[in-house]
Amino acid sequence: MRHRMAAAALALVGLLVSTYLLLYKLGVLGTIKCVGSGGCERVNTSRFSTLLGVPVAAYGVAGYVVLLAIALFGLREDQVALPRATRWLVALAALGVLFSLYLLALELFIIHAVCLWCSVSGAVILAIFVVAAAALPKASPAP
Amino acid sequence: MAEAGRSVKRFYLVLGVIALAGIALIVRAALSGPGAPLVIADCGGPPLGGVSAAGQVLGPDSAPVKITEYADFECPSCARFAILTMPDIQQRLIPTGKLRWQFMDFPLQQHENSPLAHVAAACAADQGRFWEMEYALYAHQDDWFADHRPERKFLDYARSVGLNPDSFRVCLTERRHWPTIEANRCTGEKLGVNGTPTMYVNGRALAFTPAFDDLTRIVDSVAAAAPGRAPAARR
Repeated sequence: MRHRMAAAALALVGLLVSTYLLLYKLGVLGTIKCVGSGGCERVNTSRFSTLLGVPVAAYGVAGYVVLLAIALFGLREDQVALPRATRWLVALAALGVLFSLYLLALELFIIHAVCLWCSVSGAVILAIFVVAAAALPKASPAP
Repeated sequence: MAEAGRSVKRFYLVLGVIALAGIALIVRAALSGPGAPLVIADCGGPPLGGVSAAGQVLGPDSAPVKITEYADFECPSCARFAILTMPDIQQRLIPTGKLRWQFMDFPLQQHENSPLAHVAAACAADQGRFWEMEYALYAHQDDWFADHRPERKFLDYARSVGLNPDSFRVCLTERRHWPTIEANRCTGEKLGVNGTPTMYVNGRALAFTPAFDDLTRIVDSVAAAAPGRAPAARR
């Protein structure tokens, strides 16, 4: 149960970070608080900050909402003992980690700027993956 | 089982606190003012960043009549002039080839949002839309002059005049053209500008803010008195 609580808390943090980035991208926030020399602005205004016409941060918001919902669903009395929610958390977090690695590669090798908040989001999704994967049943139950 | 239920309730409480704290931080960020404040400096020292003055220009350098306008985006008289007279200047005087019009920034100390508005216009100039942005800033002056965070409105105007909003926002956040704006203002100060709008016709100060008819007469008479012939009208 504790791993699902940890995953839910992490997903909430990720959701807040992604929402902050999305609000900046949409122009609701005039500026973005960031360390370094404008890395957050450069990354979030680059041509890679949208994917298929949708801000990348919106994918983050959607992903964390789903992760949060799964983790909370897994805390229901009738779900706590079942491994299904944990498996879903591992699968979706793995996708999120891969996507974060792709974004990090873009930052390092193409945009040549690092966005602090994107890195925080990447660390959060990695932590969700580690926490959930560590809680997976060691072996499948015998049929 | 009862212990587990209490544990989950405590957890929901913690989750709620995290959510509220995060939302409060985001709302605070949304309500806070723009980034680095722009301070109007004393013109006695060396130019900021070693930058020299450079206004925005309409019309050919060879025009016999050169008018330089020192203006402040928060100044109501400048707004009236820009809205009522400037479109006629652009459409009817500039094409004659007789007039070269130069806009010079002169943000006034007492106008809190004016420096950022001048930066916004200069950022629009980067994308070739200075005059469209100038008009938008003046036309909506009442909407932004008292705003605590005018950047959002400037971004709306940038979109409305067809600028790339992302490039514009980076430029605005970096306050990219502030040294040039300061240099323009200091050029005016050295000339003796102490209010806006102030206009100079071939280097001589105009004692009033002209209407379009006044300007037409001024341009025609100065062009007629200029050595050599004024260029033929282009239509």
